[in-house]
Order: sequence, then C-alpha cells, then structure tokens
Amino acid sequence: MKKFHVLTTAIAAAAFLAGCGGNDAGDQSPRVAFKSMVTFGDSLSDVGSYAVGVVKVQGGGHYSINGIGATGLLWTNWTEFLSATLQLSAPCAAETGLTPVQGAVPIVGDETPTFHDASNGGTCTNYAQGGARVTVPIGPGNAALFNPADATTAGDAIGQLTIPVKTQIANYLAHNGGKFSADQLVTVMAGGNDIFMNVGGISAGLETPAQAVAAMTQAGTELAGYVNTQILANGATHVVVVNLPDVSLTPYALAQTPQAQGLVKNLVVAFNTALQTGLTAGASLVYVDAFTASEDQATNKAQYGLADVSDPACTTSSSLVCTKATLVAGAAAPASSAAPATNANTYEYADSVHPTPYGYRLLSELVSEQLAIKGWL
Amino acid sequence: MKKHSIATALVATAAVCGAGAAHAQAAGEVMVKLGWNKIMPKVRSTELSAPSLPGSTIDIKSASALFFTAAYMVTDNFSVEVLGGLPYKHDIIGTGSVQGVGKIGSIHQISPTVLLQYRFLSADSPFRPRIGVGPTFAWFYGSKGSAALTAFTNPGGKPTTIGGDTELGVTSELGASFRIDKHWFVDAAVLKTFINTTAKLSTGQSTTSRLNPVSINASIGYSF
Repeated sequence: MKKFHVLTTAIAAAAFLAGCGGNDAGDQSPRVAFKSMVTFGDSLSDVGSYAVGVVKVQGGGHYSINGIGATGLLWTNWTEFLSATLQLSAPCAAETGLTPVQGAVPIVGDETPTFHDASNGGTCTNYAQGGARVTVPIGPGNAALFNPADATTAGDAIGQLTIPVKTQIANYLAHNGGKFSADQLVTVMAGGNDIFMNVGGISAGLETPAQAVAAMTQAGTELAGYVNTQILANGATHVVVVNLPDVSLTPYALAQTPQAQGLVKNLVVAFNTALQTGLTAGASLVYVDAFTASEDQATNKAQYGLADVSDPACTTSSSLVCTKATLVAGAAAPASSAAPATNANTYEYADSVHPTPYGYRLLSELVSEQLAIKGWL
Repeated sequence: MKKHSIATALVATAAVCGAGAAHAQAAGEVMVKLGWNKIMPKVRSTELSAPSLPGSTIDIKSASALFFTAAYMVTDNFSVEVLGGLPYKHDIIGTGSVQGVGKIGSIHQISPTVLLQYRFLSADSPFRPRIGVGPTFAWFYGSKGSAALTAFTNPGGKPTTIGGDTELGVTSELGASFRIDKHWFVDAAVLKTFINTTAKLSTGQSTTSRLNPVSINASIGYSF
C-alpha cells in the first residue's frame, strides 16, 4: 500500500499546483503608452463639430445613430472606440460651430465657430469636420452651396464649416507650437466629400468623368503630401492613414445606375491609389486599407455580425440628427440575441453614406488590428 | 536540444547493450521520476465564430514545465504510470487573417495522464524501451486576455476574457529508461496526444482547436 501512496501523492500534488487563477482580462494597456490622439478628416471621424444650434436641439452631432449607448454600444465613432482602446479620454471636437443661412434655419445662438483646443485653453484635438474635403474649403453642407431656387441644396442651409484637412492641420500646428509629439496617435481619413462634390460636378455638367478622376487623383496626392510634409515632418511618429472605403457599395451609390456606381468606384480607386503612392511606408506610418475591408464586409456580412449592408438604419436623410427615435422599423426592433442591444447593430449604414455605431466599431477593429501588427497596440 | 542529445545517446547506447545485473523494473516495483517536459501543440483551429474578421484563427505556442510521474510494475513487462506536473503556460497568438498581431492572450493547462505501458526486454535489463497508451485529462484555466484581444472583439467595452474547457484525450508514448545503479535511472520519452479544445470568448465567439501536441521529456528516476 505504501507504494500506492506515492501515486496518490503525485496526483494530489498535481491538482494542488494547478488550483490557482481564474480567467482574467490580462494587461489591457497598449504597447505604446499614447498620451493623446489627434484626428484630421471629415464626417467619418467627426465627434461633434456641429453639435450646436439646431443640431444640438435634435440630439445630434455624430454622423451615425446619436446618443451614447443608443444601440447598446458604449461609443459611436471609430475614433471614440479607438481612443477607449488606447485608454485615452474620449475625443472631443477641436472646433464647433455652424454658419446657417439666415431665415432658412432657426438660429439658436451658440453657432459661432469656436475652438476648444490649446488655442482656447481646451484639450480637444479632433479637428475632423463633416463635409470637409482634402484641400477645397467648400464641401457638402457648406452654406455657400445653398441656393433658395434649388431644393436639392436645402441641406446646405445648415451651414457646416467644412474646414478642409489642409486647414485643420494648419490650425493644429498654429495652436500647438508647430509640432506633433511622439506620444500622440495622429489619424487621417478623408476624401469622401471630394467624391460627392465631383459626382455632383459631373451631374451638373461642370466636368467630365475623366476630369473628375484627375481631380480625385490630385486630392489623394495632396492628402499624402500633407501627411508627409505637415504631420510626419513636424514630429509625429505614430500616424494612421485610413483610405476611402468603397463608396460604390453605400446606399448613396446603390440608389444610382450601375454606370454611376462604376464611376464612383473609379473615383475612389483613383484617390486611394494616389494616396498610397504618395505615402512612404515607414516606422511612423500605418496605412489602413478600409477599401478592401468594406468590400469584404459587404461580401461576408454574416461573419461580421451584419444583416443589412445596403439600407440606412435612420429615417432622417442625414444621420447628423439621427437618434434612437428616428430608426427604421427593422433597426429599431429589439435584438434577437443578447449580444447586440438592438437590431441597429446589424445595419452597416446609418444613412446613405455613414456607418452605424456598429459599422464604426468594425472600422476601429480594423485599425486596431493594423496597430497590433505594427506593435503599437 | 541538449535533452534531445541525452535521449539520443540513451537509445544509441541501449542498442549495443546486452542484459545487465539484477533488480530493475520487476513486478511489484514502484518508480518515481522527476524531469522536464516540453509540450508542442500542433494546432489547427477553426475560424473564430461571428462576429469576427473572417478567417481569424489562433495558434497555441509550446510550453515547458517540471513534471513528475509514478509507475507501478504490475508484471515484469506491464506497468501503469501516472504523469503529473507543474502547470504549463501557453501563449496564444493570432493567425490566419489576423496573422502578425502577435500574442493575444495566454492560458494555463495541466494534463494529468495515465498510461498503460509495455516494457520490452527482461526485468533485469538495464535498458527498457517501452510503449504506452492511456487517457489524458486536460484542464484549461487561468487565461489572460490582452489589449489587442479586447480591441478586436469589444473595443471600448468590457475587457474580453478567454474561457477553456476540461477535455479528455488519448496519449500514446514511446520511451526508454536506462539504469544507472540499483535505484537510479534516467528516462526519456516522446508522447503524442490526440485532443481538441474549444476556447470561448466572453464576447460570445468561439474557436475549436485540434491541439494534438507532441511532448518530449527527459527525467531522472528512482525505483523503490
């Protein structure tokens, strides 16, 4: 029997040594200890530049389904998901304001453009604005485009500032000593509004498709130039450039003819090609291919947890003022499973071009994956 | 690699050795061993279930730890051996479409195994090669996630954790011992275990992995 004691002791010892530790989250800090995130771009990165006046009254400000937690997710925009991932405080708009057309839109009183960055004692560093283009100062929603005789320009009466990326970067530099720092993550994503303005230009007979493609190539080259000469050359060591998703797959393009969709795709490809060509791969730069990911999401929607990749979840024409109260019936329905809080999390798009919070979350996951591969996350 | 060399030397030596002195691995004897074991999983994981990036799979890296065994000679040739040891800590890395993201977590594991063995040659031979087969109970516990895992599965939300199951597998063994003196011997073995496990994330996704590890070990033993 003594010999069997040896066996039982061995088994008991093994069990004892193993009996420690449950499952835990592990170290949640990113590999690079970022201190802040600086964002340049358009509506896809905007966290509330226009959350003033009539937009604020309607509970809007994000180009998605507004209201923190509206769909059960904690954040709305991809830059918010990403800053939470990097353990930073939530991003806020570096400049807010509207220039509404007098008489066309009620003036509430707090629309005067105001900075909330270092120039004004603030800490907000998200310069992205809805309607912003790469270089041209007038983009969709800008009051300068409003024409009382043309009903299709009614949305422009809201008076978005549409400060272009070029000026956003210049504003940052002017307000922060002309420098970026090594503990900042700088994100750049733009070009969509150049697509819409050029498609509009073709429709209005102002330019040919070939001229539009050339204009997009120029915009892509210019954006790459700003990243190189204004951001990387001024001290930024952690820069993320996200290319344009395939706009030809958005409800905006799907509502048009196949020829028009093909044109939109050509414009996107021209922009992305010029952007990528103009950037130099290096230790300080991560290039995120949202274009390929957006096509994959449309093709393999179920794997991404998506059910609808072609219809807007919002009933409002712009998601800037979309909330939980203005969702289509399918999106407003309670979720069938416990994981997503509402069916809105199975929709890719909130309006004709902007993602739902879940769609933005997928973008943040894509960016995070590239940051992890780079060794920054 | 040094352990490999020892094992190789043992086998080589054994090949030219004849029968030796009395008293070794005879019926009724109990032997204990203490050594170092390396487990090398040969992972083939299924795609992480939705919602996830299509084609996300994982690999589970090798781990080494102190191990000990106790064996009882039922007859001069048949024995029963119980294998235990300190826990193994395996790193989990992303593969497939998340290739390159590096370590996304880790998990601990112990896998006590019982082997029914047949030992070749006579009881008094200094060299006893053996084959064995028996059940392995793998217990996965003590997992850790990472910032990257949370970023891919629940960004901005509650950190994601990994849950493992207790699994039953089958292990086969090829081993040999070489007697040094009346009580002491050295031993080496290669084991192949056939086992699957399902890792479940706290965010709902899961992936089933065929682990089928190969283990190699070297140890020093004492017979009573």
